[in-house]
Amino acid sequence: MVCARVLQLLALACLGSALPARVDVPGKPENLSCEAVQQKQYISTTFSCEWQTVGSQTATVPTSYTLYTAVLPGSGQPYSVTTQKNRTQVKLGDTFPHYMTLEVWVEAHNKLGKIESEHLKEDSGWFVKTDPPSDVKVFSEKSFPTSLLINWTHLIPTIRLKLTYRIRYRQNGTQNWTPVPLGDTASDIKSFRLQDLQPYQVYEIQVSCKNAKEGHGYWSDWSTIVTKRTPEARPTSKPDLWRVIAEGDGKNERRVQFICKDPVLANGRIVSFDIKIQDPKDKVKNGSLEWKNIPRSSQGKITDLKQIDLADQKSVRVYINATNSVGKSDEASLFILAKARESELAPVEELKVFPHRGQLWLEWKPPNSTKLVSEYVVEWVGGAQIDWQKEKRNTTHTAIKGHLDKFVCYNVSVYPIYSGWIGKPARKEAYLEQGAPLEAPIVRLHKAGRNQATLNWTEISQGSRRGFITNYTIFYTSGTEVHNITVPANTASYTLTSLSGNTKYDTWVKASTIGGSKISFNHSFTTLRYAPGEMEFIVVGVSLGFLFIVVMTMLLCVYKKDVIKENFWPQIPDPGESTIGNWSPDYPLKADTPRENGLSGISVLDMDVCDGKCVFEEDKASLSLKKGKYLSEEHSSGIGGSSCMSSPRQSVSDSDEGGDMADTTASTVQYSSVVPAPPSGYKGQTPNSQPQQALFSRSESTQPLLDCEENPDVLQQEGSRQSQRSPPRPPRFTDGADPAGIAEQQELLEPLDFCPLGEDSEQATPVDGQAADWLPAAAPLSSYMPQLGGYRPQ
Amino acid sequence: MNGHVKSMNFQQFMEQATTLLSLLLVMAVDSTRAVAASRNQQCGNPLQQTLKLSRLIQKESVDLIKTYKASQGEMSDLFCKVSVNNIPDPNISGMEHSKRIVSIYTHLQDFLLHFNRVYDQQTDLQSSTSPLLTELEIVRARSIYLGELINSLYQSLFPNLPVLDPAGRPTTLPPPQNVFQQKVYGCVVLKTYKEFLLNVFQELRTLKKKKLCIRRI
Repeated sequence: MVCARVLQLLALACLGSALPARVDVPGKPENLSCEAVQQKQYISTTFSCEWQTVGSQTATVPTSYTLYTAVLPGSGQPYSVTTQKNRTQVKLGDTFPHYMTLEVWVEAHNKLGKIESEHLKEDSGWFVKTDPPSDVKVFSEKSFPTSLLINWTHLIPTIRLKLTYRIRYRQNGTQNWTPVPLGDTASDIKSFRLQDLQPYQVYEIQVSCKNAKEGHGYWSDWSTIVTKRTPEARPTSKPDLWRVIAEGDGKNERRVQFICKDPVLANGRIVSFDIKIQDPKDKVKNGSLEWKNIPRSSQGKITDLKQIDLADQKSVRVYINATNSVGKSDEASLFILAKARESELAPVEELKVFPHRGQLWLEWKPPNSTKLVSEYVVEWVGGAQIDWQKEKRNTTHTAIKGHLDKFVCYNVSVYPIYSGWIGKPARKEAYLEQGAPLEAPIVRLHKAGRNQATLNWTEISQGSRRGFITNYTIFYTSGTEVHNITVPANTASYTLTSLSGNTKYDTWVKASTIGGSKISFNHSFTTLRYAPGEMEFIVVGVSLGFLFIVVMTMLLCVYKKDVIKENFWPQIPDPGESTIGNWSPDYPLKADTPRENGLSGISVLDMDVCDGKCVFEEDKASLSLKKGKYLSEEHSSGIGGSSCMSSPRQSVSDSDEGGDMADTTASTVQYSSVVPAPPSGYKGQTPNSQPQQALFSRSESTQPLLDCEENPDVLQQEGSRQSQRSPPRPPRFTDGADPAGIAEQQELLEPLDFCPLGEDSEQATPVDGQAADWLPAAAPLSSYMPQLGGYRPQ
Repeated sequence: MNGHVKSMNFQQFMEQATTLLSLLLVMAVDSTRAVAASRNQQCGNPLQQTLKLSRLIQKESVDLIKTYKASQGEMSDLFCKVSVNNIPDPNISGMEHSKRIVSIYTHLQDFLLHFNRVYDQQTDLQSSTSPLLTELEIVRARSIYLGELINSLYQSLFPNLPVLDPAGRPTTLPPPQNVFQQKVYGCVVLKTYKEFLLNVFQELRTLKKKKLCIRRI
């Protein structure tokens, strides 16, 4: 025995080693499943099975699978078919063996062996999968608006296979199916009534079936969807009544437009609304108020009912009901308070509106009021759209259920309703989604300066804003560096500073929301070269300066005309018109008080000499040059330019006031003087008690005395030279009014040759002011001796 | 002799007997229950299946006759009214249930022979796609299944009785017939078979109502 066993093992080992590696006996097929499908009104005799193979096929040792199906009880051979796949079909005779038992198994075999799967032994009906019910029909009945009757047929007669059914349905447009409980769909039925449906709603229905025997058969596929609308019924909820209030045409008046939506449970097509508007103070007419019928709007879901003009101090009550083909709904009501009393009905508190997950959400706190809120109305207005929804009294947060557009600003309001009375609203603006503005602000230069410029920009229109403007950013550049300034959203202008003058700038403005921004077009401007007013200041300054100069010059001319005249137009007495006057060498000159007769003034013309020492001290004591005016009736000619004196003239030497005579005469040379007439004819002359000395006749020339004349002894020798060198000159001044005086002057005038440089300097026309500027030049010693110490009467 | 000893022996005997009887009783009850359970399971299912199948075949035989008449042309309604000899009796004979089941089985075998004859004849008379042929095949196949079920039912109801012979008894088939005769013959056979199947159904229903399987306990 032991030896035999050992030999068997050795033989198996040799056999195993001889075969290729990784080849085993076939694996036992698992999970065998079979089905027989429907074929017209029979069950097909084609029996399909599949199973799971264990191990893999190999080319060298392929595994075959044979499906066996035996009909029991029966003495015949089982039906079989062989395959190398994991599924096959076998034909079960001429007809499906209803009410017989089928035993099914799979045998896997290869060269090394074979193995059978688990035998599947069940009633033949266990394997049947029928087609879905055919010809499914759904009926509605007017008398049953909440019910639908379903009818169907099945090709397989009940005698052959008793079936059970399942039904599912849903409202058109919804996703979830509602199954009918299996217990309600008893076996072998061909109709079923759906109940508790919504009136006037479209429903989709499907039916499926299988072998009625518990646990037997497979469910068929669902039948094709059949749709049917339930009949209409009377509306079972109230219409949704609301109002829109605007300013009325008249003062203290509101325009109220009543609007409404269909009842939620309209149960049919709403045909019209009946509305009744009641003034609480009005008496009832004939015991009942009049109802007005208004057809439902054919477009949209909101119907405009009626518009009234309501005085601010009045309140109103409105009642409506909705009508369909079956009947009327219950009444809905809305009450509007007088405007002054609206504040009695407090609004909600802390209203917040914000977008969240594609919806606009609202949160609020109940009103702080003793009155009880019955419900809330959430209203949203955006563009031309207005809509509302009602919320229960205990709601504190909700989402807007209607359709909202992106980038549209909605004015969201929450109204508390106090038993029909509309309370005061709380409002907020909100966007479902914000984006970049469609338009950019238009920037313009308002005012430009040298170092600054003020820019204005227009506000973006509401329709193009697409969001709340968070800020504006102003960009400007002169071509090198771009600067930017961010300003709050509530500004519409800004002044740029620290700009360069006379420079072209490009500027643009960016308007930003949280969804994006929009940049305006470039606007160029150039700053001013000069600051405003600067040019005017310059011009005015220059003009004023010029004017000042002119005025000063004129004044100078006016007040110093004598000096100017003396310098530019020195009076040269005409010797031809000089006259002989009495002259006394020691005659002190006295300042005569001016007469009151308005006599023509006679002044002493002081002539500057070049020599700074032209004033001799001995002459100082003798001479006293009186300042002031000398008024004399007699015309004195030749004295200090008297030949040209047609008008009173003042003494030029104002600077010598109170000064030393020597100083006075240092710059002037008196070359003539006026001999006062007898006291009766002069005014202002102090009568001299001293006896008059000898008078000398002398020509009243304005010419300074020559040395020879002054000092005939000393200068006699030089006199001849002077006379040779200085020819007598013609008088400069001529006075046609008094030719005699002129003649006298001419006689007295000596050639003005006090300047050793010659006549050129004397004869040159002095310009204004030069007279005062003349300095006595160093005069050579000549016979010409300037008169010092004043005028010496001859 | 001591009397006490004698009484002790008797008591011991009585105790042993009592114990033995109790054991036998328990075994008898258990076996009865097992038998009853097995009888119910074996009897109920075959009977139910046989009943349903007979009902099905009977229903299909009604449709078969309609199809047959529709495919025989004119005057087909008259064919079934003609009397034909050597057609199996549709009635079930026997007094006991076992005899009646045997009668069902044997008649069924007889009818299958005639059925085959009709099928062969109609195969020549009808086109290959004729629905009559399909229905004849179906009814014939079901009838064979019915025979298997009847046999199984008989064996489950009467396991001690001899098994039914599938060959049945010899049956006399009619001689070769002309077309008219074949048509008449076929109609008469199908009509008689329909009646037979109705009798079978009723018999089986009677068996089911009597709860034969349970009463045999």
